[in-house]
Amino acid sequence: MAPRPQTDALRGSLDLLVLKTLSLAPMHGWGISQRVQQISGGVLEVNQGSLYPALQRLEKDGLVSSEWGTTDNNRRARYYTLTAAGRRALGTELESWRRFAGGLETVLRTT
Amino acid sequence: MDEEIRLHVELEAERLVREEGLGSPEARRRALVAFGGVERYKEELRDGRGLAWLGGLSLDLRLGARMLAKYPGLSLVSVLGMAVAIAIGALVFGWAAAMLDTTLPLDDGDRIVAVQTERADAPGDIDRQVLHDFVLWRTELTTVRDLGAFQLGDRNLAVEDVVGDGVADVVAVAGMSASGFRVGRVPPLLGRPLVDDDERAGGPPVLVVGEREWRRYFGGDPNIIGRAVRLGETVHTVVGVMPEDFRFPVNHGFWVPLRLDASQYDVGGGPPIQLFGRLADGVTLEQARAQVAAIGHRLAAEYPGTHEHRRPTVVPFARTAEPTASGPEMQWTLYIFQLGACLLLVVIAANVAALVYARTAARTAEIAVRTALGASRARVITQLLVEALVLSAAAAAVGLSIAAFALGWMQRLLAQMGQGLPFWFDLGLSPGMIAYVAGLALLGGTVVGVVPALKATGRRAYGNLQQFAARGSGMQLGPTWTALIIAQVAITVAVLPASVHHASALLRTSMRDSEYPAGEFLRARVSLDREEAPPPPADSAEAAAHQRRFDARFASRAEALLQRLGVEPGVSAAFVSAFPGGEPPYRQFELEGDLAGSNAAADVEGENASVPAAPSAATIGVFDLFDAPIVAGRGFVDADTAEGATAVIVDTAFAARIPGGHVLGRRIRRVEPRRAGAGSEADPAQWLEIVGVVADPPRTSPDPDDVALPNVYRAATTSALRRDGVQATSILLRVRVRSGVTPAFTRRLREMAAATDPGFQLHDVRTDAEVLSREAQTLRTGALAVAFATLSVLLLSAAGIYAMLSFTVAQRRREIGIRVALGANPRRIVNSIFRRASAQLGAGVAVGLLLALALDRATGGMVMGRPSADTVGLRGAVALIPIVGAIVMAVGLLAALGPARRGLAVQPMEALRDE
Repeated sequence: MAPRPQTDALRGSLDLLVLKTLSLAPMHGWGISQRVQQISGGVLEVNQGSLYPALQRLEKDGLVSSEWGTTDNNRRARYYTLTAAGRRALGTELESWRRFAGGLETVLRTT
Repeated sequence: MDEEIRLHVELEAERLVREEGLGSPEARRRALVAFGGVERYKEELRDGRGLAWLGGLSLDLRLGARMLAKYPGLSLVSVLGMAVAIAIGALVFGWAAAMLDTTLPLDDGDRIVAVQTERADAPGDIDRQVLHDFVLWRTELTTVRDLGAFQLGDRNLAVEDVVGDGVADVVAVAGMSASGFRVGRVPPLLGRPLVDDDERAGGPPVLVVGEREWRRYFGGDPNIIGRAVRLGETVHTVVGVMPEDFRFPVNHGFWVPLRLDASQYDVGGGPPIQLFGRLADGVTLEQARAQVAAIGHRLAAEYPGTHEHRRPTVVPFARTAEPTASGPEMQWTLYIFQLGACLLLVVIAANVAALVYARTAARTAEIAVRTALGASRARVITQLLVEALVLSAAAAAVGLSIAAFALGWMQRLLAQMGQGLPFWFDLGLSPGMIAYVAGLALLGGTVVGVVPALKATGRRAYGNLQQFAARGSGMQLGPTWTALIIAQVAITVAVLPASVHHASALLRTSMRDSEYPAGEFLRARVSLDREEAPPPPADSAEAAAHQRRFDARFASRAEALLQRLGVEPGVSAAFVSAFPGGEPPYRQFELEGDLAGSNAAADVEGENASVPAAPSAATIGVFDLFDAPIVAGRGFVDADTAEGATAVIVDTAFAARIPGGHVLGRRIRRVEPRRAGAGSEADPAQWLEIVGVVADPPRTSPDPDDVALPNVYRAATTSALRRDGVQATSILLRVRVRSGVTPAFTRRLREMAAATDPGFQLHDVRTDAEVLSREAQTLRTGALAVAFATLSVLLLSAAGIYAMLSFTVAQRRREIGIRVALGANPRRIVNSIFRRASAQLGAGVAVGLLLALALDRATGGMVMGRPSADTVGLRGAVALIPIVGAIVMAVGLLAALGPARRGLAVQPMEALRDE
């Protein structure tokens, strides 16, 4: 797939957010987007259109797995679960994000 | 995927209803907007799953089909050209498959075998006098079950009230062991098959009929069982009808029990029979061979006198009858033909590739833009390849249809010839052939698609976007292109004239009216049923006497028939053993006292002076048939038919070949063909004296290239004909009815024959007109096929030349525009274009001429193997070469004209702006 330009603020961090959200509990797509929005206090909004390709990609890379289940009000939904590899990936992603954010913070503070 | 997205949109809509109090339609709309176009994301998701190629493929297929429609000329030419090559490939494949396949269309048909006895002292000969061996094998062979034998023969069939007034028709009858029906495993349609008890000597004569014959001769009578049918002299009772699936052993529809008593014959003697059976369960052909060979060795030791050279073996049953009998020997030939067909396809496909390349070059800009928009090279190549495959698939469909039609035609033609085809020989479409054609289509498509695709998307192509914007298409072709044009023209010039000539010669021949009243002549092969005669006794002297009695009966009955015909008003008739217009065996005749160096010898390859001629032995009335006058000497008299008489009459064609002029009284004799390996020559033939010269018989062959062979006639009685005859078992009856042969006369002839002797068998009763029209039809179809192939080649090469030339000139359009802008004289520009085109075309024509001459030289020595090397045909073809050359030049120059004019029409400003 040709790389698709992402213009939203979440560029590069969508995967991280998805992985982090899924580390709490298995969830379906809409649940993930709602959770991110809730936790960030409405600051971060997941581009819903990007979410599913991202999930697809993560699944292909073996970081998440999915299976069909039912929601609380008995609707069929696809639930995504973090795999062991996904957990490890989350660790490294978090680490690198923190380094990046720290670096950014330092730069912003000093200039 | 759909469901997942739908759920998301629904949940989002519910949230909006819940949290923002929107109405549900509005909430749904907002949810969809937030998602941003469901379809688009479905597509992206599909991409993510690696199914992109699927959507791409269907797009490519549609593009390919659109390309076919968009360039109808190119498509037509390419499809037609490749279709011809694919059709040829499929034809060869179909033929090879039918020849090599040994599986009979019966249950477990690949396990039905024949036990044949080959002769070690005469390779290729099959010894069929194996009655005693058969009896032995029947008890001893464990590897072949249901061993049986059959004997083939013709019988007069008489069915009262069904075949016109009880008049006999000659049918092929198999005397067969009952086990033949067990081997076939086909249940009867009505009644029962033959059973072992039927083989008992002295049992009632019973008959089993095939479905086809049941319908034809008995009108499909449901009460046929128990009906009486006369075969030859014997009245048989019908006991069963076999379905159409069962035509065993060759192509039979009448079966009678085989009743042979081995005790009546010596070991190694008896009537000729053929043996068949089914491999026992779990036994391989090799194991059966080993057992049969072992028994054969034992017999050879036991009966050295008769069995010393007998080498029994087991072969697939299909190998017992032509045309499949020669399958294995032809295997390599067939493979080579197949390879040739593939090569032809590759050559044509390469041609089409050149055409497609020219089109692809015109699409450089499109490709460049697509590449710039992110299409990978593989993606672009795939597209071009798929387009080519669409093209070749269309060609395959057309080619397969042509092949199916041609094979059906061949099957019908072969079935009409001689004894007909064995039941297992099927030239129809098979899954294997369709797969083969699909393979050919893939091969063709790859050749057509890959080269242009690779070239067009090569590294240089990335620069094309720039060039496209600034300077037009930048594909460079140079010397390759020139070579291609020259080769194309050369091949066209070299190959076309010969095929055009052949097609037109065939067509002319088929259209020609025969010069003689063919409708007045009837021919029939006549034989006598041997059935009523008791089996030949063991004693050889007695057998010879028996044969003599049979011959005497045949001769006297033939004489009687001739006399009956002679008194019919308006009818003249004669028996001949070889005849003009048939297939007489050619013989060389040498002249006495003229053994070396003469004109006659000039075109005969032998070292002796000899004249090729068709010798005929004929009853005296032979010249009356054609009203051929005696031009010198005398006609035949009764004394000439006597044993040891040496008088011959030659026709004027023969007389003209005798050097020195005087013909009467010269003595000639047959030169026996020397057999390879035969140490000394056989006894020289008897010297014959020419007593008369008769006018040439009318030409019966419509082929003008068929040079009528001289004829040498000897007079004979019907009994001498039987000795001398070409065929030991039958001779030819020729009848002329001045008022024209009518169906009523044909019926009358059968009646007369039946009245003379019920055992008379008339085979292939046809008027000359029928024979000729059948020949003409075959020729016309052949001409059509050649014309079709020629036309497609011409079309293809014309299109190829057109495309290449117009492409090269189009390349120079910018240059032309600039030159015009700079004030060049348009005439000089046109001249320069045409000079280059003419140079390329001229070189091609020159090479083609050389090639054509070389081909002529190579084939000139063997003009169809005819005795007289006549070069009319070749000269005709050579005369066509300049014409074809001129046509090719015209097409080429025409091709150059369009782009040249377009080049001249370019506005100077346009050309400069391009720069």
